[in-house]
Amino acid sequence: MSDMTETTLQPGSTAAPTTCETGTTIGMDDAVVQARRVTKLYGQGDACVHALAGVDIDLQRGAYTAIMGPSGSGKSTLMHILAGLDRPSAGNVWVDGVEITGLKERALTQLRRDKIGFIFQTFNLLPTLTAGENIVLPLTIAGRKGDEAWVDELVATVRLGDRLKHKPAELSGGQQQRVAVARSLASRPAVLFADEPTGNLDSHTGEEVLQLLRHSADKLGQTIVMVTHDAHAATYADRIVFLRDGVIAHDCGRLGRDQIYDVIKSLEDVG
Amino acid sequence: MIRIAWRSLTAHKLRTFLTTLAILLGVAMICGTYVLSDQIDRGFKNIFTDAYKGIDVSVTRKAKFTGEMTGATAGLPESMVSQVKGVNGVAGAYGYVTGAGAVAVNGKVVETGGSPTLFFSYAPGDISNTTYAQGGPPKAPGEVSIVQKLAKDHNLHVGSVIDVITPGGSDKARVSGVFTFGAESSLGGSLLIDTTLADAQRWFDMPGSVSAIDAKAVAGVSSDTLAQRVKAALPAYADVKTGAQAATDQTKQISDAIGGFLRPVLLSFGGIAVLVGAFIIFNAFSMTVAQRRREFAMLRALGASRRQVLVTITGEALAMGILASVLGIFVGLAIAAGILRLFAAANIDIPHSGLVLAPRTVVVALAVGIVVTLLSAVIPATRATRVPPMAALQEGAVLPPSRFARFAPYFAGAVAVLGALGIIAGMYGPGNTTSRLGTIALGAVLVFVAIAMVSKYLIRPLAGLLGWPLQKVAPVSGRLARDNSVRNPGRTAATASALMIGLGVVVFVAVFAQGLKSSFIDSFDKVVRADFIVQGKNFIALPSDTANLVQGVTGVQTAAGVDAQQAQIAKKTTAVYGVDPVLFRNVWKFDWLKGGSDALLGQLGTGNAIMEQQTASSLHTGVGKTVDLVTVDGKQAKLKVIGLYRDPIMLNGVILDNTGYTSVFGKPQLFMVFVKGDLGTGAAQNETALKAALASVPTADVQTAQQYKDSIVKQVNQLLNLLYGLLAMSVIISLFGIVNTLVLSVFERTREIGLTRAIGMSRRQVRATVRFESVITSIIGAIMGIIVGVVFAWVVTTKFAGQGITFSIPGGQLIAFLIVGVIVGVIAAILPARRAARIDILEAIHYE
Repeated sequence: MSDMTETTLQPGSTAAPTTCETGTTIGMDDAVVQARRVTKLYGQGDACVHALAGVDIDLQRGAYTAIMGPSGSGKSTLMHILAGLDRPSAGNVWVDGVEITGLKERALTQLRRDKIGFIFQTFNLLPTLTAGENIVLPLTIAGRKGDEAWVDELVATVRLGDRLKHKPAELSGGQQQRVAVARSLASRPAVLFADEPTGNLDSHTGEEVLQLLRHSADKLGQTIVMVTHDAHAATYADRIVFLRDGVIAHDCGRLGRDQIYDVIKSLEDVG
Repeated sequence: MIRIAWRSLTAHKLRTFLTTLAILLGVAMICGTYVLSDQIDRGFKNIFTDAYKGIDVSVTRKAKFTGEMTGATAGLPESMVSQVKGVNGVAGAYGYVTGAGAVAVNGKVVETGGSPTLFFSYAPGDISNTTYAQGGPPKAPGEVSIVQKLAKDHNLHVGSVIDVITPGGSDKARVSGVFTFGAESSLGGSLLIDTTLADAQRWFDMPGSVSAIDAKAVAGVSSDTLAQRVKAALPAYADVKTGAQAATDQTKQISDAIGGFLRPVLLSFGGIAVLVGAFIIFNAFSMTVAQRRREFAMLRALGASRRQVLVTITGEALAMGILASVLGIFVGLAIAAGILRLFAAANIDIPHSGLVLAPRTVVVALAVGIVVTLLSAVIPATRATRVPPMAALQEGAVLPPSRFARFAPYFAGAVAVLGALGIIAGMYGPGNTTSRLGTIALGAVLVFVAIAMVSKYLIRPLAGLLGWPLQKVAPVSGRLARDNSVRNPGRTAATASALMIGLGVVVFVAVFAQGLKSSFIDSFDKVVRADFIVQGKNFIALPSDTANLVQGVTGVQTAAGVDAQQAQIAKKTTAVYGVDPVLFRNVWKFDWLKGGSDALLGQLGTGNAIMEQQTASSLHTGVGKTVDLVTVDGKQAKLKVIGLYRDPIMLNGVILDNTGYTSVFGKPQLFMVFVKGDLGTGAAQNETALKAALASVPTADVQTAQQYKDSIVKQVNQLLNLLYGLLAMSVIISLFGIVNTLVLSVFERTREIGLTRAIGMSRRQVRATVRFESVITSIIGAIMGIIVGVVFAWVVTTKFAGQGITFSIPGGQLIAFLIVGVIVGVIAAILPARRAARIDILEAIHYE
């Protein structure tokens, strides 16, 4: 997979990454998430703001995509809409072959339960449940027993075997986020959305979580979409999508940290 | 999902505890009421079952109706005893006389705290269930045997001499023995005296008669068969029952008398407590739902359906309801035991069995606790399901308002109108008293709910008003407290409303009682011209010559007696008074209706009557018309109404000439003597002289007019204090509600409090802020409660205006209730304020 998105840019280059396409990237095979002409408007009339102004994007199965962009670029809105948390003003979104725009509340709940996993910036673990119980929470909600071997594997992967009986308050931030990662994988979602997963972590524990996500993509073939403004976090992604003013400004393959800074700088310069 | 609910409960122990407590106390009161009244019921049942043990058939005279002041019936002829003995299958039959009187030891009447002192002529041991601890039954005239409690309390032995006071007068008697009745040393606080038949007949003016006949069957004849045979042999006026039936009937009569008052009163206070608890649960769940919206959003983001969120919260409510109800049942058992101990300490000896936890008690307690908790949690739970999953990703997401939110004021208005209609329908509509009271109660509950709903619009102005002086006293804390209390007006309103209900009922009771007291005093001052009033102690009729004894005292101008009995006119039980036509007008100022005058008293004779106008209108009669009166013995009389007077409080009923009274009832029953004395010679001497003249009547209680008024006011106040005690529970529950609200608000504002501390606010100021907020809330509750209580009392008083009850506001007490409100606020703030002051600054500002 990684060879597909390998960058041709040389480290240290100061020019804008040439392999990045501008605008949209569509038409790839085996897309888990597809969005077409997605717009989102806030407010009405003159005060109307385009959070998204016609975005087309395909997210491939097994790909680890980072969405970046300055504040107000629409990156969070895009993720909310792709995840079925928010509805677009216009346009269509498919998740795992199901068109989610226009789905009723009940069906959307079903979709979140079966196809989508979440990792939040603030972990959002249930403080009253133990780490182990938090991990299997999506299965509990779905009323499924789940695959015990799979859960055990996840626990081993996130290296929390000795912490399963602890309450979130007794865990460090990194440990809590690892629980959240395990939780998001427990139901084997078609796509995993991570919202600034390292935003509340120090660089060391953040690193652990990023490696864990990378590992999930590589070894478990997990499709991941990560919204971040941390360039270092984005270096772990196979593909980086830059948004500005509600449109995709650049769509790149794997980039180094400096290259990411360059793209960000170029976006700011244009702005 | 249930596990999430359970974990949430156990993780927030204080919150769960306070919320559970709110409903627990109400459930406990309801459960305690049932347990207590069941225990008393069973206690009486045991006594009467004991009393009729071994008796197959009991014969009495049929009463025309039962009332409170009916007195002894005429009884059965003594000759009927041999008639019963002659019935085939009767092994033995005994007639006996019974009646109420009093005993005096060393010239002092033995007080029984309202219970009667009962005299029985002796029946042999195989029929009467008495066991002698000392001596034996009375044999010779002038001998009595006494119940053990009396002997013990007054150190009496075989051979001691006591005074027996009966309608026939006062007599000396020698104690021949001391007995227990069944297993009891006294019968429900009342004293039992056994006498010879001849003495009892003399003392109770029943020559040649007996009150009842008990019979035993020979072996092989059942009670039912014997009862049928006896019934066939006796005239129709004889009431023949099996012993078991008589025991059941007597138990029922006493249970109805006690249960008919105690149970509904206690249950309604339990109901008020539950209602207050419901508000607190509603509030607690609303707040926790608001705080946990992120948690619910996360669950929703992970794929939980709305139903699952609803199930989680209602699951919590269910668990809390079950916990509260089960604990409430145990606390209720403790309350019942505590009240009985309290009675015992006050020397009120109510018979009771051991703990009775009837299935009905458990079912009602569980149902009330669980249903009320669930209902109170439904609205907050539904609100939680509206949390969008997006909220999991956002800071400070707010709940979307309900689609119906904008209709809330109209809805509240509709509820208020419905409640008001309920109250009006209950007051003026058809139906029996119980169902009408039920309608009024339901209406009142709806009005309370409506006020609670609209009160959130009052919070801002009221808090502004109350916060203003606080802000003058403490610029920072006062200002913050004022702002905090209006930050979520709905929450402050619900918290204050819980206090409003408790205090509202307190104020209602206080205002209504004040009306009772002042109308009694007004009415007394208006009609009574007597300086002294003589009454019988323990509700025993005075000897009929009491008025004459008093008349002989120097300085006494007039002593006029009033006889009193109950009788039925047109199936309605009415008080009938007999007065001296010449003397009475000297001590009484009648408020005649048009055409009436004191001259009418002289025209009463034996066939005429004057009537209180309310009584007349309820009997649909008037001047010139004739009414048919039936006494409890079944005697009948025709009376012509010759005048109407207005006196709804003192003599509300029918007044006859005392000769007319005696001819209707057969004998006088002196109830009170009104004495007009020459105060010029000094009231104190008069009183001493009166008491000296009445030395031979130990049951006579001499009071000045002022003392009499004071004693009535005191009785009302005693009842009032009892009601306050019961209502205190509701106020305490609402106090927990304030604590709960404050604890949760402090928790919510952890970060904010940390910030204010970081920029230099002292712990003392933080505590003051919480305390002020608490006081603002509690005063708002108190003010609303006072207004609602006064308005309710005014509405209800208008209904009773015809009965002479006026509307009167006890200003001093209302101020006291406002102070109670402040105290509740200060106490409620102690714990939350301490928590707020303990908040660690560094942790708080990193807190989210």
